[in-house]
Amino acid sequence: MITTGLTFVELAALMKQSAGVTVDPAELEEAPEAPFSGLGVDSLGLLGIVGELENRHGVALPPDAERCKTPAEFVALVNNTLAGV
Amino acid sequence: MSTQRPRRAVVTGIGVIAPNGLRTDAYWKSVREGLGVLGRITREGCEHLPLKVAGQVEGFDASALIDERFLVQTDRFTHYAMAAAALALDDAGLAHEGGVEDPFSVGVVTAAGSGGGEFGQRELQKLWGQGSKFVGPYQSIAWFYAASTGQISIRHGFKGPCGVVASDEAGGLDALAHAARAVRRGTGAMVAGAAEAPLAPYSMVCQLGYPELSTVDDPDRAYRPFTAKACGFVPAEGGAMLLVEDEARALDRGATVRATVAGHGATFTGASRWKESREGLAQAVRVALDEAGCAPEEIDVVFPDALGVPEADRAEALALADVLGAHATRVPVTAPKTGYGRAYCGASVLDTAAAVLAMEHGLVPPTPHVYDIDCDLDVVMSRARPAELRTALVLSRGLMGSNAALVVRRGGGLAR
Repeated sequence: MITTGLTFVELAALMKQSAGVTVDPAELEEAPEAPFSGLGVDSLGLLGIVGELENRHGVALPPDAERCKTPAEFVALVNNTLAGV
Repeated sequence: MSTQRPRRAVVTGIGVIAPNGLRTDAYWKSVREGLGVLGRITREGCEHLPLKVAGQVEGFDASALIDERFLVQTDRFTHYAMAAAALALDDAGLAHEGGVEDPFSVGVVTAAGSGGGEFGQRELQKLWGQGSKFVGPYQSIAWFYAASTGQISIRHGFKGPCGVVASDEAGGLDALAHAARAVRRGTGAMVAGAAEAPLAPYSMVCQLGYPELSTVDDPDRAYRPFTAKACGFVPAEGGAMLLVEDEARALDRGATVRATVAGHGATFTGASRWKESREGLAQAVRVALDEAGCAPEEIDVVFPDALGVPEADRAEALALADVLGAHATRVPVTAPKTGYGRAYCGASVLDTAAAVLAMEHGLVPPTPHVYDIDCDLDVVMSRARPAELRTALVLSRGLMGSNAALVVRRGGGLAR
């Protein structure tokens, strides 16, 4: 089965949809270690993104997915999960 | 600074989001002119319900006033409250979004009658339509009565004492009293008030069970308290927030002291027991007058609850007679809300805003849609009446049995 991983473009769209945070995908990709808290995404906002990804991909993300501090950490965790690592 | 005077709670800012005005000045203009804005409910999913007429807030652009981060996690009732709070803070000359010098000196207290029904319905539909994994996490906070207090304090960075009053419609006045007490105990200022959003399908179905609800479909005849044609009340959305501040602090920073929150009383007499509300309302007025050190004859205008249910209207007129004596038949009485509806907890805060504005302008606004009075009250009708107004009495009752009275005086008490 081919599973496309989470891109920064997709994450930026999810941040907008689930947390109301507008961020430029290019900036997100350039500075992926900038913490979610500084971008205005709180734990409930990230939980909404986690739920949306779980529904889209039909897989459960690890229970601490919404505790990720940065986009880099979150994208790696999601893609490792989707890849079955 | 070292005055031994007791601290006084004064109003230095007013913010209104109402069916008849999206700013305080627009609201006052409509109230003064006695504009009737009740109309057919046009909200999606509501058209088939037997409640046809309400006061709808039109042209409110939440995204122009509130950051999208807050919008995605809040219901319409919180949008109104946040917008009204921002207007009140602007009006008071306090920093907006930039924060205040001492965040611990400002708190927030709101009242709510039903919370976020529209948001909650959307998420619950996902729950039974798609499954629990489709319910968004913000459901946990958006529907909740406390949402508006929390979001206002977060948005502006206020860290003073915060609270939520869940005491029925009369909670609007109770919230103002709570704020005044917090200020007298030492808090610099409180953002206080209430806003509601009861015009969504789930919320409307909840209201259909109220026998007091008017289901008359003619906007001009649906809500006419104190008349022989009274047939219940018309609901509304929106509300108002006030900045209640320590008078000395307000004067120190050069703010305009618009009114003093002088006295408050609250009682409970049971759900829909309107005959008994006479005694409860009378007692609330006595307590409020006593706290204000105000003689009955000093009341220059009354903003009654004006439920529009004959038994309740009678009880209210009798309660006023019980406490004010002969003055009850002479003092001008006005219910501007007949022009735009009852916004539950927001209704009495809007009345308080109207009372402050009426005192400032020396005008008792009229009671729209009301012409033939069926009780012994001097209800101001048709057009505003000029009058020297120093002290106003605002009354409120809830369908679940709460009664409250608030005495508000024009200006402050300290000399500049």
